[in-house]
Amino acid sequence: MERGYRIRSKPNYETLVWKEKASAHVVVAKGAGGMAVLQLFQQMHPVQPVTVFYVRGDSTDKDYSQTLTKLVGDELQVFDTQMEALYAFYRRLPDMKMGTRFYVSGTESFIWSLCKLAALFDIQESEIVKQLSNSLSRPVYCVHCKATTPNVTTNIVACSKCSRKLFVRDHFSRHLGAYMGLMIDAENPGEVPAIEEIYP
Amino acid sequence: MGLAFKEETFRDDYTYRNSLDAIRRFPFPFPEDKYMYSVNIEPHVKGKPGSVLEFPLDIDEHYVSECRDKAITLARDPGRYASLPHMMDAQWDVLELIMESLSRDYPEQFKLTKDGNRWTWQNLPLGIENTFTFGDRSSLPMEPFEYVGRQIQGDWVILDQREGTLFADAGIVTSQADWSLAFDVGMSWHQWHAPVPRATEIGVMDRALKFMMNLQLGEPVRRLNWTMTLNPRLDTSPENYPLWGPDRNHITLDNAGDRVHLRVELQTLFRLPRSNGIVFSIRCYLISLNELATYPRWAKRFHRILKDLHPDLLEYKGLTKFHATAVEWLSRYDDGAPLDIGTHPE
Amino acid sequence: MSTVNVRVAAIEQVTPLVKHFTLVREDGQAFPPFSGGSHVVVAMDIGGRIHRNAYSLMGAPDDTQAYHISVRRQERSRGGSAYMHDNVAEGSVLQITMPVNLFQLIRMGRKHVLIAGGIGITPFMSQLHDLKRNGFEYELHYAFRSPEHGAFSAQLKSECGERAHFYIDSLGQQLDIPAVLSRQPLGTHVYVCGPAPMVNAVLEAARELGWPENHVHSEQFTAPPMGDAFKVQLAKSNMEVEVTADMTLLEALETAGVGPDSLCRGGACGRCELDVLELDGEIFHHDHYLSDAEKSSGKKILPCVSRARCTHMLLDI
Repeated sequence: MERGYRIRSKPNYETLVWKEKASAHVVVAKGAGGMAVLQLFQQMHPVQPVTVFYVRGDSTDKDYSQTLTKLVGDELQVFDTQMEALYAFYRRLPDMKMGTRFYVSGTESFIWSLCKLAALFDIQESEIVKQLSNSLSRPVYCVHCKATTPNVTTNIVACSKCSRKLFVRDHFSRHLGAYMGLMIDAENPGEVPAIEEIYP
Repeated sequence: MGLAFKEETFRDDYTYRNSLDAIRRFPFPFPEDKYMYSVNIEPHVKGKPGSVLEFPLDIDEHYVSECRDKAITLARDPGRYASLPHMMDAQWDVLELIMESLSRDYPEQFKLTKDGNRWTWQNLPLGIENTFTFGDRSSLPMEPFEYVGRQIQGDWVILDQREGTLFADAGIVTSQADWSLAFDVGMSWHQWHAPVPRATEIGVMDRALKFMMNLQLGEPVRRLNWTMTLNPRLDTSPENYPLWGPDRNHITLDNAGDRVHLRVELQTLFRLPRSNGIVFSIRCYLISLNELATYPRWAKRFHRILKDLHPDLLEYKGLTKFHATAVEWLSRYDDGAPLDIGTHPE
Repeated sequence: MSTVNVRVAAIEQVTPLVKHFTLVREDGQAFPPFSGGSHVVVAMDIGGRIHRNAYSLMGAPDDTQAYHISVRRQERSRGGSAYMHDNVAEGSVLQITMPVNLFQLIRMGRKHVLIAGGIGITPFMSQLHDLKRNGFEYELHYAFRSPEHGAFSAQLKSECGERAHFYIDSLGQQLDIPAVLSRQPLGTHVYVCGPAPMVNAVLEAARELGWPENHVHSEQFTAPPMGDAFKVQLAKSNMEVEVTADMTLLEALETAGVGPDSLCRGGACGRCELDVLELDGEIFHHDHYLSDAEKSSGKKILPCVSRARCTHMLLDI
């Protein structure tokens, strides 16, 4: 399955920078992604209204909620879980106006969960500024059983639902918000190459 | 038009075979001894009577069994049909295209009568009859694109044109060469073709996109593409890779003639009137090496194509494991003498 | 490019400057249905020279018996609109292309805001059918000079009700574009068709408010501006062609028998784009298709509307 060419569906991530032309700004971050928000607030503060949704980092992730509370103030809402934050974000979408700019930072799983919600309001992922936080871990879609395994750090992973050993391809689906996982030992059952951490 | 539909299978016992007529009309894709990925698009105009290009949409002896195989695949994995919500106008466009085309070109098999928006569709080979209101989703047993997509050979993908590119926003895909609709649905042109090696680099995809964005109403185009499949299996999807992947380990000189198939895709593109979308039809024709070699000219040509194929393409098309065996099998038809240009069998 | 001969079945004087033409096929067959926002290119034989203008289709997209276009008499016209007004009568035969759409509704949109100025109302006449058929949320903003110049305004008022807003310049009614754009919910698309200052005002207001580019849509067909004569050299056909002052580069190439494929002939679709291999002067780009970078590179030209001042321009044709 080693492929000697680059796959162009892989998303590009950038650094959060305020957009100058805007009507409002909405920033959503999780755990270590809070650092990108702190960096954003080092820049000149925009004149338009700003709202920040932040998911507290858990034991495996960094937590910037205290620093953010001091720095951001009333514009900040802090949540304990990703689910709560995304739900709060989603409930606000109907009241938002065109010209609202979106920024997101966190793991790839988090970023694309948010993009899928925004897409329901015809906000395309290309309109959302995305910064990957300190992990390269990937959401991996099992093409065989259709389950997505979040936060995969290795080249090969056991599917969280069907347990097949999946090779993590570079081919990325924005619709699913995940990389394709294809059974590695389908042709030769049991022949699985060494599993290595390559998306730390 | 007399069409005798064959009873055959594309899985398990694999009873699919081509009749002598079907071999003769096979769309052999190699006019020259060398192959490289290219756009090679031409107007989809009427071809010779009896050829696969005689009509805009070709129905052949495999029609009934292929539709039955499609139904099995869809029953086991409903995700082979997908349509994003904004594609409804395009769905009706495709239903109209297919029903009008089949009823006009195969009047003994398919009948369409219209009373204003009240349409009656009869598909005699599959025993289907429905009266429905064109444009009213609730008047059909399922979405219009799925309804008609189950009654036509080949895979169908509908492209939405916006933001200066095309998005694959709907599809019914059951006979694909190793790509996943559930994964690719909603992708833009360049994302969708990302895994094609050497194509993005040489700008082929940019040129093809520009061409397609300018596709005109009433002026469909076509191209041929090809790969190879072991056993006459339509559903070589990544979803079912564990089912068909292991076949690659069991190809020998003795069984290659029977099991190794050249798989040719007749790809056609039509601009859709109401939605301004484009429908992309990928019609698959399978022929075993034994059947192909009934015309030695074809075997000889195919030997030369396969022998010199770029390693990236061998990998991309999944031929690596049995490539050497297939080349050796074909080599006995190749005396090295020059072949004139053209795809004709004799 | 397939074309079809049509007969003018009816002509209606809609305003002092606008005529509405009803076209039927000469061979009696049905037209294909089309998508709202489509246009056709009408070919006219004016004094032996074939003149082609793009006009938006106005009728219901599922009306396959007749196509409808409206033509405003242009004050500084090369003859196309004047010919349609003065020389085309009921029964006249014209040649048109099949519909092409460069201005379609984005069906993923959650709301659609249509902004028209004057004759720019025409593509919206067919888009409104698509909006209603799909049950989409929309509003229409239509600005025109004075009450007698509001083509189809009575019809729109009755068909669209409160969703239609009219702005009559002579009555001092102004369309406040930033105000309209600043109150739109997420997922809105804006479409503008009208005079260049209006189109630019919408593009500018949307940009200032932070609208993403892919939610902003405009259509402008440029009447090809005339200019000084110039000469071009053709690399593949190995010849020289003179472009006279009253002719476009595209028409000059066609007259010489080496015309490239073309569609809209108004600088919008890009079909006639040519590569410029060598150039010792300056290109005057008048199209809406090439990017600013492509324009300043001097390596591409749309011969339907753009011209040059040069002594040597080698085209790859």
